[in-house]
Amino acid sequence: MDKKNIDRRSFFGKLGEIGLASAALSAFPWIEACTPRQADEQKNEYARIGVIGTGSRGCIHLMFLQQIPCARVVALCDNYEPNLLNGASYFPEAARYSDYRELLGNKEVDAVVIATPLDCHYQMTMDALDAGKHVFCEKAMAYDIAQCHRMYLKQKETGKLLFVGQQRLFDPKYLKAMSSVIAGDYGPVVAVRNYWYRNNDWRRSVPSPDLERHINWRLYREYSRGLMTELACHQLQNGMWATGMLPEKVIGTGETMYWKDGREVYDSVHAIYTFPNGVHMTFDSVISNAHYGMGEQILCKDATVDLITSRLYYEKPQRRSSIESLISDIEKGIFTNSAFAGTSWAPETASRDTGIAIVANAYESDGTREIMDAFCRMVIKGEMPDKLLDQFYYATVFSLLGDEAMLQNKEMRLDPEWYV
Amino acid sequence: MFKDSIITAKDKTREVIIFLVCFVAAFLVNVGAIIAYRGPWTEIFTQIGFVVIIAAVIYLLHWLVRLAVMVIRHFFGK
Repeated sequence: MDKKNIDRRSFFGKLGEIGLASAALSAFPWIEACTPRQADEQKNEYARIGVIGTGSRGCIHLMFLQQIPCARVVALCDNYEPNLLNGASYFPEAARYSDYRELLGNKEVDAVVIATPLDCHYQMTMDALDAGKHVFCEKAMAYDIAQCHRMYLKQKETGKLLFVGQQRLFDPKYLKAMSSVIAGDYGPVVAVRNYWYRNNDWRRSVPSPDLERHINWRLYREYSRGLMTELACHQLQNGMWATGMLPEKVIGTGETMYWKDGREVYDSVHAIYTFPNGVHMTFDSVISNAHYGMGEQILCKDATVDLITSRLYYEKPQRRSSIESLISDIEKGIFTNSAFAGTSWAPETASRDTGIAIVANAYESDGTREIMDAFCRMVIKGEMPDKLLDQFYYATVFSLLGDEAMLQNKEMRLDPEWYV
Repeated sequence: MFKDSIITAKDKTREVIIFLVCFVAAFLVNVGAIIAYRGPWTEIFTQIGFVVIIAAVIYLLHWLVRLAVMVIRHFFGK
């Protein structure tokens, strides 16, 4: 791979490509540490990383860490031997551990990436920060709100980096779209719509029954909060980012409706969050029908921003020429069925506007490489970027609050003591 | 198998005239659309590409009619 290609694929290169480098600094202060000048100053410096948890997500991080020039993976840890061997295939030279506390004792390690089941995040992060390591912890931040709050305070106390895997905050297509939404280019935000539909049982194959809960931890309440912590926390963060506000309350309902296979988490969840100005944000997830896939849409008065496809749909699309309108109307006259309930009724079907691309190559990445790239740069710099931890914290906190609303079957508001 | 054929100057002139008639018809459709949809008069020039395409479509349709007439004459004529 040549240097030019590496530069273009780097986070800094991508920000430059979409023309965001200077314009967005005030809206996204955490990007300030990612300027090309910063990258230049850090030439020949490395972040020495230890990865705790080398399962599927951990290996994705290892794959990206291989591509990041300033990253050196020096240690790996997993208490499941097959996973540890998988991880070692990316970095055969790295020291191997089965107990994360031994890895934390390794003086060669500057920072750790934690990609373990949700219930482990809190203790591992606290121990790592106490050991003087910078931390990148996979989302969701922790199993409950009190743990998230203590992690937040621990970061403030130690001054070490604490990143959570909310990669959209570093995805250039999200940054570009959000900069326009926040600037009010499309009018006020009137609603935020999130959904994530899949059609699979969310299970991994298990080599022996006694490993069921260890491998399929996502399905059990002891380790996981299900769809709300695995999926919702990514999407809910969009709404808070776009509106610049925190939800005032949430109602929700969840059921184990289709996959009745002994799992303890919901397979169908629906939550509605209300912001102080009355704007609603929804999150729906069903894992027994994948037709609509995933969607993250910011609905503004004058346009809709589709964050996944990076397309913009104006409420009043650009006027067509008279002759195009004539041809379109003739087509409609020929091909459209007449309304069966008379002229007073017509179906209000979705707009057929094909929209405008916000960023080309919207599917090139999902931000995971970019957030890891930024994390490594910031490990070298040694400073936690401004306001970033707040974004991480509230994304998880409101996901957990949504799950609480479902469990308790009542409207939930965040206890004032959890605001930071 | 195929015989040489000659397109006379008279035939060419006739086809050019027919295409010009088609173009004028398409042009009038554009003018009508501008009036009906209250579009700007600049569309007379900016939409000239559409007008040419519509003229070509009308010309092709007229040829389909002529072909049909020729076929009918061939089998049932005289």
